[in-house]
Amino acid sequence: MTVTGFFTDSTLCIGCKACEVACKEWNDVPDDGFSFSGLSYDNTLALGHSTWRHVKFVEHDAVIGRGGNAPELMTWEFSSDVCKHCENAGCLDACPTGSIVRTEFGSVYVQPDICNGCGYCVVSCPFGVIDRRPSDGRAFKCTFCYDRQRAGEEPACAKACPTQSILFGDLEELQRLADARIEKLHANGMTDATIYNPVDTSVGGTHAFFLVRGDVRAYNLPPRPEVPATLLPKAWTSAAVAAGALAIGSILAFALGARR
Amino acid sequence: MPGLGTSFGRGGATTAQQDLANADAILIMGSSMAENHPVGFQWVVEAREKNGAKIIHVDPRFTRTSAMSDYWLPLRAGTDIVFLGALINYTLTNERWFRDYVVHYTNAPTILRSDFMDTEELGGLFSGWDAKNETYDPETWLYEGAARKEEGGGQEKDRGGESQDLDRPHRDETLQHRRCVFQVLKRHFARYTPEMVEQACGIPAEKFLEVADVFTAASGREKTGAICYAVGWTQHSTGVQIIRAASILQLLLGNIGRPGGGILALRGHASIQGSTDVPTLYDILPGYLPMPAVERTLDEYVKRHKSPKGWWYNLDKYIVSLLKSYYGEAATTDNGFGFSWLPRLTRDHSYFGYWMDMADGKLEGLLVMGQNPAVGSPNAKLERKALSKLKWLVVRDMVETETATFWNEFPECDTEVFFFPAASHVEKEGTFTNTQRLLQWREKAVEPPGEARSELQFMIDLGRRLKRRASESPRDAGLRALTWNYSDEDAGEILREIHGGHVDGRSIKDFSELKNDGSTACGCWIYSGVYDGENRADGRDPHGRYGHGWGYTWPLDRRILYNRASADPDGKPWSERKALVWWDEARREWVGHDEADFTRGKAPDFKGDPEGGGDEALPGDAPFIMHPDGVGWIWVATGLKDGPLPAHYEPLESNVHNQLYPAQDKNPAALWMKREDNEYAGSPDDRFPYVLTTYRLTEHHTAGGMSRTLPHLAELQPELFTEISPELARELGVANGDVVEISTVRAAIRARALVTTRMPSLDVGGKRVHQVGLPYHWGPNGLVKGDVVNDLLAISEEPNVRIFESKGLSCNVRRA
Amino acid sequence: MKTPDRASEKRLDEIRREAGVTGRVDAKGIRANGAPLPEASGANGYYGLPLLKQPVWSWEIPAYFFVGGAAGAAAMIGVAAGLSGAEQRLVRDARWIAAIGANLSAPLLIADLGRPERFLNMLRVFKPRSPMSAGAWIFTAFGASAVGAVILPGRLRDLAACGSAAAGLGMATYTGVLLGATSIPVWARHAAVLPVHFGASATASAVSLLELRGHDDRALNILGIASALIETATGARIELMDDIESLPLRSGPTGALTRAGGVLSGPVPLLLRLLGSRSKKTRRLAAASSLVGSLITRLAWVAAGRASARSPAK
Ligand SMILES: Nc1nc2c(c(=O)[nH]1)N[C@H]1C(S)=C(S)[C@@H](COP(=O)(O)OP(=O)(O)OC[C@H]3O[C@@H](n4cnc5c(=O)[nH]c(N)nc54)[C@H](O)[C@@H]3O)O[C@H]1N2
Ligand SMILES: Nc1nc2c(c(=O)[nH]1)N[C@H]1C(S)=C(S)[C@@H](COP(=O)(O)OP(=O)(O)OC[C@H]3O[C@@H](n4cnc5c(=O)[nH]c(N)nc54)[C@H](O)[C@@H]3O)O[C@H]1N2
Ligand code: SF4
Ligand code: SF4
Ligand code: SF4
Ligand code: SF4
Ligand code: SF4
Ligand SMILES: [Mo]
Repeated sequence: MTVTGFFTDSTLCIGCKACEVACKEWNDVPDDGFSFSGLSYDNTLALGHSTWRHVKFVEHDAVIGRGGNAPELMTWEFSSDVCKHCENAGCLDACPTGSIVRTEFGSVYVQPDICNGCGYCVVSCPFGVIDRRPSDGRAFKCTFCYDRQRAGEEPACAKACPTQSILFGDLEELQRLADARIEKLHANGMTDATIYNPVDTSVGGTHAFFLVRGDVRAYNLPPRPEVPATLLPKAWTSAAVAAGALAIGSILAFALGARR
Repeated sequence: MPGLGTSFGRGGATTAQQDLANADAILIMGSSMAENHPVGFQWVVEAREKNGAKIIHVDPRFTRTSAMSDYWLPLRAGTDIVFLGALINYTLTNERWFRDYVVHYTNAPTILRSDFMDTEELGGLFSGWDAKNETYDPETWLYEGAARKEEGGGQEKDRGGESQDLDRPHRDETLQHRRCVFQVLKRHFARYTPEMVEQACGIPAEKFLEVADVFTAASGREKTGAICYAVGWTQHSTGVQIIRAASILQLLLGNIGRPGGGILALRGHASIQGSTDVPTLYDILPGYLPMPAVERTLDEYVKRHKSPKGWWYNLDKYIVSLLKSYYGEAATTDNGFGFSWLPRLTRDHSYFGYWMDMADGKLEGLLVMGQNPAVGSPNAKLERKALSKLKWLVVRDMVETETATFWNEFPECDTEVFFFPAASHVEKEGTFTNTQRLLQWREKAVEPPGEARSELQFMIDLGRRLKRRASESPRDAGLRALTWNYSDEDAGEILREIHGGHVDGRSIKDFSELKNDGSTACGCWIYSGVYDGENRADGRDPHGRYGHGWGYTWPLDRRILYNRASADPDGKPWSERKALVWWDEARREWVGHDEADFTRGKAPDFKGDPEGGGDEALPGDAPFIMHPDGVGWIWVATGLKDGPLPAHYEPLESNVHNQLYPAQDKNPAALWMKREDNEYAGSPDDRFPYVLTTYRLTEHHTAGGMSRTLPHLAELQPELFTEISPELARELGVANGDVVEISTVRAAIRARALVTTRMPSLDVGGKRVHQVGLPYHWGPNGLVKGDVVNDLLAISEEPNVRIFESKGLSCNVRRA
Repeated sequence: MKTPDRASEKRLDEIRREAGVTGRVDAKGIRANGAPLPEASGANGYYGLPLLKQPVWSWEIPAYFFVGGAAGAAAMIGVAAGLSGAEQRLVRDARWIAAIGANLSAPLLIADLGRPERFLNMLRVFKPRSPMSAGAWIFTAFGASAVGAVILPGRLRDLAACGSAAAGLGMATYTGVLLGATSIPVWARHAAVLPVHFGASATASAVSLLELRGHDDRALNILGIASALIETATGARIELMDDIESLPLRSGPTGALTRAGGVLSGPVPLLLRLLGSRSKKTRRLAAASSLVGSLITRLAWVAAGRASARSPAK
């Protein structure tokens, strides 16, 4: 099985949200509430238990004479976000039930028949992706359309995308495409375009990676995400010290206390 | 679509969306294509990415389309003709026009009558204005030497004019004659300067010039540019003339009929093109045949509308075949094939005409199928009131629309409402004709739920019942004669009838076999060819550059209209890069990437047979085969009600005076439909200082019945909002997210303020103009509710197509 | 346009302060006339919206941290007391605290699950990389042995008690790992101290419970002083740090809660125990303070986690 991935290129995204809707349709995801945000054209605001694809609208001041494709100036950037399917996935590490697994496609998948809703994955995802759905009790996120991939189909979101902003395919191939794309954009003068794929952090790269313009933080993408597991040695050492101290301390205390 | 119809001969997009990928520049104006035609927009993106095509978006707002473009220019709503006129002027004065194309393929050399007087001389009016009847007499617009044609009669608008008298024009191919179209054009547009763009549209002159240079560079042998528009152009009191201006520009640049060129009219609902081809309109019959009005007999009708030259020479074959299709054996030579049974235009049967009648209690009942006028139509308040005057109302829809529940507002009304559940497009088979004239067959994917039925079933059943109740009176003769032996639900059967055949059962290949002697029947001649043995709309095997083999494009699977113009007069491509169809001397026929929109074996050097009729009369270098003179019309001598050339007039409500023709503020021919419940603000009017324009959001669909009811769409844009500039927000003391009240002289509604620099305030003639934007998808039903924006609008009518002005009104805004 | 006046300037200052503290402004005042539009930028993140998801745990989980921690530490104290030949009643009470605590913990844990009926799925796998998995197994071992330590006969009971002490050490400390090794900035920031902090808090609670049961073994007071010392140090450390991640521990409602917990479990019992070590009453007061402080501390940490998750990308 080849490892598959998503390369989402926001310079090609028209913000139509077809991906967001297609995902919900295919996966039968419920609505995420009906509230007006006033934040550009985004009313779903973030990925979550009931939004597995999410289109962000990063708005800057519009300038007369310049469209959004003008290389020297950012205006209205759309970027379709999704679970990153991390090479080292915090959620997968954290899941105590083994509900979250790595599939033959290299993606990170939550088995809905196993999850008991402990919520630990929620605090272990460095990207704020997975969440527990209150009305259901279980944790949900993008499945990378495991069912469709099994059937040899591309994920629903990629299928619906009219402009090929979402490319799906062989991960390595996509990385090559992304490198070529960024080179071309830079050559065209769009020097603020970057690939967001945290390969050099403990996350070790993501199977869903992105091309965005400008500061990645404006898209709520953490510049240096780390897998929580990196903290384990520190924390367990501390626990061992504490446990040792408690064991020895209590024995000593009683020994001391008894002496008088 | 008379803007395109008169200019080129057919009222449809001249090109296909896929062809945009071949463009070197694309001007999107009066459309937010990325938002409203997102799937087609992929080819704009492809052009941008693959050819480095420059994308230009001209729109009051910075939209998702602007975000994908290289250039964005905001203009004051309703000033499109100023902008396009200035582009025309720029093209002419900077020698950007494509001389060989213009001389051979347009009527630029044609000499006009000496008694024609332009807006220049008449202070904004063309000659022929009849102030008493408030209409133009177009006689002085004719070509020199053309006889005046008979007055009155049918609707020539979608057919490029009924200009049987225009066929022997006087021409000056040097384009120097003072009265040739080219020179008249030059003079007419001389006042459309970059400075005027700055003053009227609010676009800085230097920004205009930058964009003008980019777009007009996409011209000549090696380059082409395309224009995309939609209702941001049509829904104006000058809508048709805006499209005319674009047509003139594209003809001057040599961009019609060539790959990557053309004008793409982006249409609305999935099959709205289909519903003008096989019309649901009051003034045309299938295939753009005029609806009879005063013609008593078939002969009169044919005499009036048949053209001696060009394609409409065949009109008699098409009308007779249509009548045979309607009335079968009952249609005989003796009774004029039942011509007298056709309904007649006796008075104003236009959409708004009958709503006004309804509001006045003159209508008994109404069938509403697949429409939601209580929300979607202008002055919706008036329309809802009109519904309350009916005795009965039938609504066929998939959801309980506001039209079906309008009576909540009128608890006392006596209208009896019948709601019929309708099967949706996936629950029935049939075709869609999309924006590029492409018929695509659609299977039934699932059974409709409950008692929901398809339109086909409903109509067949209704027809049967009506026929059963037909009386013996002469009035019902047509009903009795109507052939109606359909099986219960077989859309294929209907498509075969539309395609046509011999009455003896033998099949035909396409409309070239239709006859005027009653031996053939055809439901819509332009579609003839779609079912030549097999259902070609169901083709699923695309090949070649334009995907032939996938679906079927009328006419005759020609994907790019007028594509003879992609070759030079000698039949050779203008350039290798822009080759589309060309003359193959060895095979003695036109070949290429598309079906030639031309008689296959007519050689480029064919001179035209003056004795022959119709197409034979036209020479081998005349690409606009529908027109009697075979060329594209920069000048429209007949067919339009408000002038042979576009001229800028202010919207019916405007606080700015017409700076081009100070004596003539408004389109003189526009219809105001003024009445107590359809009032207008003054021009100017202090009470309504801001410009209001309305539009769509990707997340919703028109009147909202299909999106406000679906959670996955409703959540994406849950509330009605208005887009205003930070500057206006400051002036009003309004912050982002506040609730504001937007009012016109007709109504007031509430919406949330979305404060954004994407909706800029503009400097217009030394005045600061604030524009207010409103999407119009909300109403009182559904998962997300909101006020009805269309309560704010007036029912007005553009003179040619009778469409209302939804883009460019006067309003006020205050904190609620 | 409205001209700025003193009231509007004051409002602006308040908004600035709020923004400085929490990284975002929810106040109505943001709608002030002329206020800047929300912005997506490097500094604000995506319109100031949270990057991370908030912990979904409700009160049961911090309550479990408290109960389970106290029970675990009690098991250890019971064994230590037994080894030193302390009063048998003390040993027995300690075991009972452990057993009851274990039994209270289970419903707390289960109640917080989204799918309580699937609690046992926790035991499908053992994943050392998951503190929650490790914790589930520790808890299981602890529960079984702590109950065994009160119901089994004879030597088996003592064996079970030893087991429960071992598992109890885990119970008292692993919850620190559970919070620390996550993506929540405030927790992750303190990953290295949370287990010690929670261990001390657990010890103090166990000690306090025993004291409140009427035990006055000096060892208990020594342990109480030691844990209060650690808690004081933890509190002081937080106060002295000026990092953004720890902001929720120092400001806003969560800051107040943290401080209350810290004071009640650190300096207050410490002073009471040191100054009034001869007075039974003062010791009882210290115990009560520790106990309440410990509970508040657990609640505060989880609340701070929520607040921390609300800040945008940094
Ligand atoms: N998602 C979605 N797609 C749709 C529809 C839908 O409701 N939702 N509706 C379908 C239908 S029925 C139709 S007809 C088409 C319509 O498609 P469009 O014509 O693209 O639709 P609008 O959004 O009404 O208007 C287009 C643009 O015109 C701009 N505009 C407003 N006033 C002016 C003006 O005076 N001059 C210029 N140049 N621009 C102006 C608006 O800001 C807007 O961006 O879309 C079809 N597609
Ligand atoms: N202010 C303002 N007003 C406008 C416009 C604007 O730009 N600004 N645009 C105008 C334009 S271009 C248009 S097209 C109109 C649209 O206005 P309407 O046509 O009135 O609105 P829709 O919501 O498209 O109505 C279509 C209805 O058909 C139903 N339907 C869908 N499929 C089927 C079917 O197969 N069978 C049946 N029986 N019903 C079906 C849907 O549920 C829906 O309720 O709005 C116009 N009004
Ligand atoms: S992004 Fe979060 S939810 Fe997705 S795989 Fe990575 S850690 Fe898991
Ligand atoms: S909530 Fe479900 S998926 Fe997430 S960690 Fe717990 S068991 Fe695993
Ligand atoms: S891959 Fe499937 S589940 Fe994931 S976002 Fe796309 S459509 Fe949704
Ligand atoms: S479907 Fe494609 S173009 Fe549309 S919002 Fe999603 S990523 Fe962007
Ligand atoms: S809704 Fe249909 S017609 Fe409209 S853009 Fe999407 S695919 Fe095309
Ligand atoms: Mo439309």
